[in-house]
Amino acid sequence: MRAFGGRRAVDGVDLELAPGRRLSVVGPNGAGKSTLLRILATLLRPDAGTLELAGHDCDHHAQRARPSLGYLGHDPLVYLDLTAWQNLELFGDLFGVDDLRNRIPDALSRVGLLPRAHDPVRTFSRGMAQRMGIARLTLHDPVLLVLDEPYTGLDAQGARLLDGLLEGFASGGRGAVMVTHELGRAVDLADEVLVMRAGRAVDRCDTAGMDAAAFAARYQELTA
Amino acid sequence: MSSTIDAARRRLVGLGAVTAALMALSIVGVFLVAPEDADQGVIQRIFYFHVPIALISLVAYGVACVAAIMYLRRGGEKWDEVGVVSVGLGMVFSILTVLTGSIWAKASWGTWWVWEDPRLVTYLVVILLYAAYFVLRSSAEDNRRARYSAVYAVFAFAAVPLSFYSVRVAESFVHPVVFTRSGADMPGSMLIWFFVSLVAITGLFATLLQLELLQRRADRAMRDLKNRLETLMAGT
Amino acid sequence: MSASPLRQMRALLVKDLRLELRTRETAVAMGLFALVGMMIFQFAIGTRTDDATPFAGGIIWATLALTAVLGVGRTWVPEREQRVLDALLTAPVPRLVLMLARSVALVLYLLTVQVVVVPMAIVFFVRDAAFSDLGLVAVVCVLADVAIAVVGALLASMSVFSRARELLLPVLLLPSIIPVVIAAAGATHAVLGPGNALDEYWRYCVFLGVYAVVFGLVAFATFDHVLDD
Repeated sequence: MRAFGGRRAVDGVDLELAPGRRLSVVGPNGAGKSTLLRILATLLRPDAGTLELAGHDCDHHAQRARPSLGYLGHDPLVYLDLTAWQNLELFGDLFGVDDLRNRIPDALSRVGLLPRAHDPVRTFSRGMAQRMGIARLTLHDPVLLVLDEPYTGLDAQGARLLDGLLEGFASGGRGAVMVTHELGRAVDLADEVLVMRAGRAVDRCDTAGMDAAAFAARYQELTA
Repeated sequence: MSSTIDAARRRLVGLGAVTAALMALSIVGVFLVAPEDADQGVIQRIFYFHVPIALISLVAYGVACVAAIMYLRRGGEKWDEVGVVSVGLGMVFSILTVLTGSIWAKASWGTWWVWEDPRLVTYLVVILLYAAYFVLRSSAEDNRRARYSAVYAVFAFAAVPLSFYSVRVAESFVHPVVFTRSGADMPGSMLIWFFVSLVAITGLFATLLQLELLQRRADRAMRDLKNRLETLMAGT
Repeated sequence: MSASPLRQMRALLVKDLRLELRTRETAVAMGLFALVGMMIFQFAIGTRTDDATPFAGGIIWATLALTAVLGVGRTWVPEREQRVLDALLTAPVPRLVLMLARSVALVLYLLTVQVVVVPMAIVFFVRDAAFSDLGLVAVVCVLADVAIAVVGALLASMSVFSRARELLLPVLLLPSIIPVVIAAAGATHAVLGPGNALDEYWRYCVFLGVYAVVFGLVAFATFDHVLDD
């Protein structure tokens, strides 16, 4: 549970995600999706309730869980006045990634930014900057991705990249939690969908054998 | 909830009554009973209020610091309220300290303000220090306000002795401290009224603190009730 | 994987340095501000007296304290403007390292400005300054900068994420560094003023050290609550 000035933004959400499973979170504006995600990303401490990530109790040892986490928001979360390379070097150092000299070019070529490695991120287009965010996200091989509307501002190339990343994550036995407005992606790219409304989880269902249209109808009903 | 608020109100009325009696007693004692100071005359009587008020303002900041530590360790809106009310009272008492000190300065040394007196100057610094507490409080985002306030209350309380010391060190090089106001060499007939006044001012602080806290607690109970009602209405 | 605090610290400092070198806005603005500030003091005090030497310490440190507000105010600004803070906070960086890196960067900013400004101030305001005095003043600068940086990093971390931050910071920072100004000005005066009063100088220096240590402890005890929501 997390309250802001007496109003509960997230209340009584009980979640468990097995390795290799991807969860998407959907719901109308103000449903508490982002707050839930910030709690999962160890950016907010819950006022009540507990969080355990990759076997680490985050109430006391959030620091130990953080190496396993990859967080991406609407923004790429990189320094605009540093070059792509310098940004990755910084985050590589912060996460203690070894062999940065080889891993940075790898990460950059994966998102198609190797030719621009030494340009400041400020000179990038919105889509390129967001791809830069994906490079940052994956540099340290996280076990759990925490994504807040990651498709916002992403170009077609970046969207394909992220789709591929999420697909690869499931087969690699890793997990992802993603907040999104796009019901189609929520169903296609996740194994489970959580529907939130007014800070509460109102539905959780498996996406296996579910088609997006059927889910959209159900979502309309739940959030009306 | 309402029964405990009732109990707290009864305790407050009791505390208030005792404090009022003590205040009356100390005013009578200070102005009518205590002997006139041979050197300073009638103005010396301001000392019986000036010094206790100064002491209690520091106590108030101390209370705020302890409440802040409790808030940071355990959380709970209650500690935040104790903190903000204490700092507020501490501010009022500090301002009164400077005002009474200034009146004394005018009567004894013929000028309203004496930069050479380290105590007055320090209280001015302390007032500025704690005025910033309220500026911070009004600027902080809602979900951070209590936390930032608590951190600052701890921070400012650490700054108080350092300010005292720095002002004193500076003064001792420029001017020897010529005005000693130590109360220790007072005759017993003065000392006793000093202590009565100290207890009365302490009671005043406790009463005002409780009064404001009770008020806030009632507000909070009201808000909870309203929230519950709204949830109930939304549910149907 | 080895995320040693030293490596993280170095990375954060290199980052700050690179950001500053790219724009150079902070150091240049601080330097110019300090010079203008000293000129204002000269017209406020200096023109009323033949020899400004007795006021030199006060003028220098009053100006530097105001200048420090500019530097401290830049703290966390790229993080806020470019929304990088979330990325830093989800990285496994101990909050102590974040705060320390901030403080060290601040000390570097302040020293950079002082290397230029303090000798100029001595030329402007002090008659018959000995070259050896400069070393003693440098010690004061380092001590005072550490004290200001510790306090500044803590207060800036609160003000930068509040509304009306550029109004809030000076109101928060200046009253709490009054003791630093008093002591640093006193120590500088003891060195530059008539008659080298070394014992006075050392007492002020010790006070600056005590101040830095006390607030270092306060910052250490509270910064977790400042950075983590």
